[in-house]
Amino acid sequence: MTEFKLPELGENIEQGDLVRLMVEPGTRVNEGQPVMELETDKAVVEVPSSVSGVIKEVRVKEGEKLKVGQVIFTVDDGAKRNGGNKKKEHPETPELRAATKDAGRATAETAAPSAQPLPPPDSHEEPRRASEFRLPELGENIEQGDLIRLMISPGTKVLEGQPVLELETDKAVVEVPCSVAGVVKDLHVKEGDKLKVGQLIFTLEGPTVAAPPQPKPEPVEHASGQHGARLAFQAAIQAEGKREEQALPPDLPFHPPPAFQLPAQLGKVAGTEHRPPIPAAPMVRRLARELGVDIYEVKATGPGRRISEDDVKAHAKQLLATAASRAQVPRSLAEPKLPDFAKWGKIERVSMRAVRRKTAEHLREAWNTVPHVTQNDRADITELEQLRARFATKVEEAGGKMTVTAIALKIAASALKIFPQFNASIDLERGEIVYKQYVNIGVAVDTERGLLVPVLREVDKKNIVELASELAQLSKKARDKKLAPEEMEGGTFTITNLGGIGGTGFSPIVNHPEVAILGLSRSRMEPEWINGKFEPRLILPLSLSYDHRLIDGADAARFLRWVAEAFEQPFLLSVQG
Amino acid sequence: MADGSKLRVAVVGGGPGGYAAAFLAADLGMKVTLIDPETNPGGVCLYRGCIPSKALLHVAKVIEEARQAKNWGIEFGSSQVDVARLRAWKESVVKKLTGGLGQLAKQRSVEYVQGKAGFENSNTLRVERTKRPPESLSFDRIILATGSRPAVIPSLQLDSPRMLDSTGALEVEDIPRTLLVVGGGYIGLELGSVYAALGTRVTVVEMTEGLLPGADRDLVLPLQKRLEKIFDAILLNTTVESLKEEKNGIRASLQGKALKEGGKLFDKVLVSVGRKPNSEIAGLEKTRVKIGPKRFIAVNQQLATDDPAIFAIGDVVGEPMLAHKATHEGRTAVEVIAGHKYTFEPNAIPAVVFTDPEVAWTGLTETEARARGKQVKVAKFPWAASGRSLTLDRTDGLTKLLIDPENERVLGVGIVGPGAGELIAEGTLAIEMGALAGDLELTIHPHPTLSETIMNAAEVFYGTSTDVYRPKR
Repeated sequence: MTEFKLPELGENIEQGDLVRLMVEPGTRVNEGQPVMELETDKAVVEVPSSVSGVIKEVRVKEGEKLKVGQVIFTVDDGAKRNGGNKKKEHPETPELRAATKDAGRATAETAAPSAQPLPPPDSHEEPRRASEFRLPELGENIEQGDLIRLMISPGTKVLEGQPVLELETDKAVVEVPCSVAGVVKDLHVKEGDKLKVGQLIFTLEGPTVAAPPQPKPEPVEHASGQHGARLAFQAAIQAEGKREEQALPPDLPFHPPPAFQLPAQLGKVAGTEHRPPIPAAPMVRRLARELGVDIYEVKATGPGRRISEDDVKAHAKQLLATAASRAQVPRSLAEPKLPDFAKWGKIERVSMRAVRRKTAEHLREAWNTVPHVTQNDRADITELEQLRARFATKVEEAGGKMTVTAIALKIAASALKIFPQFNASIDLERGEIVYKQYVNIGVAVDTERGLLVPVLREVDKKNIVELASELAQLSKKARDKKLAPEEMEGGTFTITNLGGIGGTGFSPIVNHPEVAILGLSRSRMEPEWINGKFEPRLILPLSLSYDHRLIDGADAARFLRWVAEAFEQPFLLSVQG
Repeated sequence: MADGSKLRVAVVGGGPGGYAAAFLAADLGMKVTLIDPETNPGGVCLYRGCIPSKALLHVAKVIEEARQAKNWGIEFGSSQVDVARLRAWKESVVKKLTGGLGQLAKQRSVEYVQGKAGFENSNTLRVERTKRPPESLSFDRIILATGSRPAVIPSLQLDSPRMLDSTGALEVEDIPRTLLVVGGGYIGLELGSVYAALGTRVTVVEMTEGLLPGADRDLVLPLQKRLEKIFDAILLNTTVESLKEEKNGIRASLQGKALKEGGKLFDKVLVSVGRKPNSEIAGLEKTRVKIGPKRFIAVNQQLATDDPAIFAIGDVVGEPMLAHKATHEGRTAVEVIAGHKYTFEPNAIPAVVFTDPEVAWTGLTETEARARGKQVKVAKFPWAASGRSLTLDRTDGLTKLLIDPENERVLGVGIVGPGAGELIAEGTLAIEMGALAGDLELTIHPHPTLSETIMNAAEVFYGTSTDVYRPKR
C-alpha cells in the first residue's frame, strides 16, 4: 500500500482548499498526472501525483481544507511504482511546479527521473525527441507579461493552437496558444512569474510528429551531448513542420580569397564604416562630425539629395531642440530616494501589477512631455436629461445604456471635426503636426486591475445608440480582462467620466501622444439665474486638459464652449456636427 | 575642444603619412619628434617607391614616344642608355625632394631623429640613433607610420644578386637582357615597363586570369594590348613553380594553361607580389595596441589604436597602401589628437597605375559594384572621339563614369590613357562634392584637352554627346 500525501506547495503555504478532485477509487494514475486542484492563498494549483498505480481509497473530499503531508489517497500495493529504486532518494512529494518559487529548478531536478514512465516495450531504445514551447511574439512592443494562469501541468496532452496560459501584458490579458503538440514533460514557469518573449515555458515528451524511422537506434545513455542536441533540434523542427534543410540556413558559397589584389576600393579601407558614401562635400561632413550629427540622418535639400552646410546645421538645431525637451525627462525620472517607512509602523510591500506599472510609466511620460493646461466649463443638461430618459429604453433594447459618456462621445467627435487641432499629434523630431483624418476616442474605464482605456473607432460615423452599445461591450470586456491590446490603440482623443463617483471638477492628464482629454464630473442641480429668477438646472462640470504646445488657450475655451453648448442644445449636433 | 597644442608627439616613420602628420602637428603647436632610419624624411615613397619609379617611367615614356615619332616623320635613331647618368638623375630627384623635407622639418622645429624606435611602454620609446647609444624618450602621443615592405614568396627566395624586389629594381644597377616579373600588379607592370623601354626583354607572370587584379577589365584592356607589344610575354593563369640559379641566370619553372615549355632562363627576376605591413615593432606587446587581420594594426575611424596614447596610419593600418591615403590619415590623426572630432571618411580614394597608358580610377569600380549588388549606370566615352587624343596619336584611351541610376550621382570614375593619373583628380573631387552627372556635363572644360572626356562621358550618360552619335531607339 502506497500513500499519496499532499506535497509541499511552496514557501509559507501550509494548506489549501480542495476545489476539484480528478480521481476516484479505481482510477489509474501515473506519476506526474494532475489529480486535484487546490486553492491556496496565492493561486489555484493543480497537484500532480507523485505515485503511479490504481487508486484504492480516496481520503479527502472536495471543499475540504487540506494540510501539507495529509494523506490524499492510497494506491494498490500490487501496482508497480515506476522507478521505485531511483525514487528512493527523492521525497514522495516532488515540489509542485505551479506553486513553488523554485519551480524551474525543482522540476529540473526531480522531473528528470520521473519523466520516464514505463516506456512502450518496443520503443525503449529509441531516443526521446523532446520538443519545447517558448513564449511566442505577442505583438508589437510586447516583450513580457505576468503569468496569471497556467492551464497545463506535466502530463497534460496539448494540441497545437490550444490555449495553455493567460498572460497579463502592459496592455491586456491574453491567452497564449500552444504552437506544439504532445505531452507536457517539464514546466519551467509558474503562475506569478514574469515571462519574456522567447522564454522556455515547457518541454514536450515523446515524438511530436510521426518520427522518421531511425536506421540504427543508439541507446540514449551513450548519446553524446552533441547527438542529444541534434535530436532535440530535429524534434523541434519537426514540431514546426519543417525539414532540417529548411530550418538550417544555406551554406554560404565559398570564395577563395584572391592572392593579391590592387586595393583601391573604399570599402576595404581599414577602419571605415561599411556605409555607402554620402553626397556631402568633405567640409560638410567634417562640420557634421564637429557638431556630433550623423550625416546619414540629415535631410538633404540639394539636387540628388546633396547635403549642404545649412542642412547639417538645421539638423543639429533640431537635435538640440529635441534633446532639450527630452532632457527634462531624466531629471524627473530620478525619483528621490524613499525613506524607510517601516520606521514609523508596519508596512506591506506588494509588487506593482503590469497595468499599474504601465499606467505609472505612461502618465509620467505624458506629464513630463506635455505642458498641461486645464480649461473648465459647465453645461446645462436639464433638457438633455429629459431626452436621455425618453430614449433610454430604445438604447437599452440595442444592448447599451444611454449614458452621459455615450452622448459625450458623439459630441466630442463632432467637436473634433470642427477643431481638427484637437485631433492631432505633435512630431517634434520632424517639426510637423500630424492631423488625423479619423476620429477614434478612448474612454477611461475603471477596472479591478486599474485604469484601462479601450478605444472606440470612427466615432464620427456612428450614432449615439451604436456608440452606447459599443461602449457597454468594451467596458465589459475591459472589466473581464478580455480587451485585446489593439483595442486600446489608435486613439485620437480621450474622455474620462468620474461623474459616477462624484466630484465637482478635476484636471485629467492628456493621454500622450493625443493632445487633449475631456473630463466629466458629477452633474447636479444648481440654481441658475434665468430670466430674472433662479431656476433649478442640472449642471454638468466639464474639464478639458490640453497640450499647450499645440493648442492655445483661446482655442481650448472655444472648443469646450462648443462642447458645452452641444450638451445644452443637442440640436446643434444635427446642424453643425 | 580639448587643447592638444601643448602635447609632445612622436611620429615613428618618415614616409608621406609620417612627415605629413609631423608637420601638421608642429603647425598646430605640438612638440614633435619624427623618427626614421633615413637621413631625411621621405620613406619608401620618396626613396624606394613612387618618386624614383615615376622618374624612370618618365624616361621610359620619352623613349617610347621617340620610337613612335617615326610615324610622324621624325627619326632619332636607336637610343643609347647611360645607366650611370640615368641613375644619378633619378637619385638627384630623390635627394632634392628628401632634402627639401629635411629643411621643412627644421623650419618647423620638428626634431628629426635618424634611428629606430621600439616601445618601452605606451608613452615611452626606446630610440636607437644611428651611431649613438640608445635612449628613452617619453611622449604624450605616438603615431605609428611604419609603412610596408615588399612581400616575399618563401619558396621563391634565392640569395642571389639576380633576384630583385621593387627596391632593387629601382636601383637600376644594369639593364638585364631578360627579366622575369613575378606578379602582374601595378608595381610589376610599372617596373616591367621601365626595363622594357630600356631594352630588356620582359616576361610577366600573373597567377590570376588578368593583369591588375581588382581593376575593371575595360580599363585594363588598352594597357594590356600595348604591353603585349613591348613585353616578350604576358603569362596569365600562370605560377612560378621554382627558381634555380644557374651560371648564366635564373631558371624559372613555370606552370600554366598557355604554357608549352617548362623552364626558361632569365638574367634577373623581379618579385612584385604585393606589400606587407611593418607591424612588427619592437616592444609593441608592452602597449595595448592590437594587430588585426593580415597583420595590420587595428585602428578605428579616427586612426586610434586600442591604446589611448597610440595612433597608427598609412600602410601599416590597411589597404589601400597608397601614399596619398597615408598622408590624409596622418593629418586626420593629428587633428584628432588636437581635439577635433574628425574621422577618416573619404568618399573616394584615387588609384593610379603609372604605366603607358596610365590606368586610374576613383570611388566605386564596376567590379566592386557588381560584387556588392549595387545598380549603377555606366557611361563610357572612348578617346577615339577626342580631338586631343588624336593630336597625341593615342586614341587607345577610355573615360567612364559610374552613375547612381536613382539620383544621377557620380559614384565612380575610371580612366585609361596617357595622363589618366592627372585627370582622375577631377573625378575624385566630383565624388567628394556629391556631384551629379549633370554637374559634370554643365561644367565647361577647356578645349582641346583630355579633361573634356569627363564632360563628354556625362553627355553620353544623357544621350546628348556632341562627339558620339547614338542612334535613337
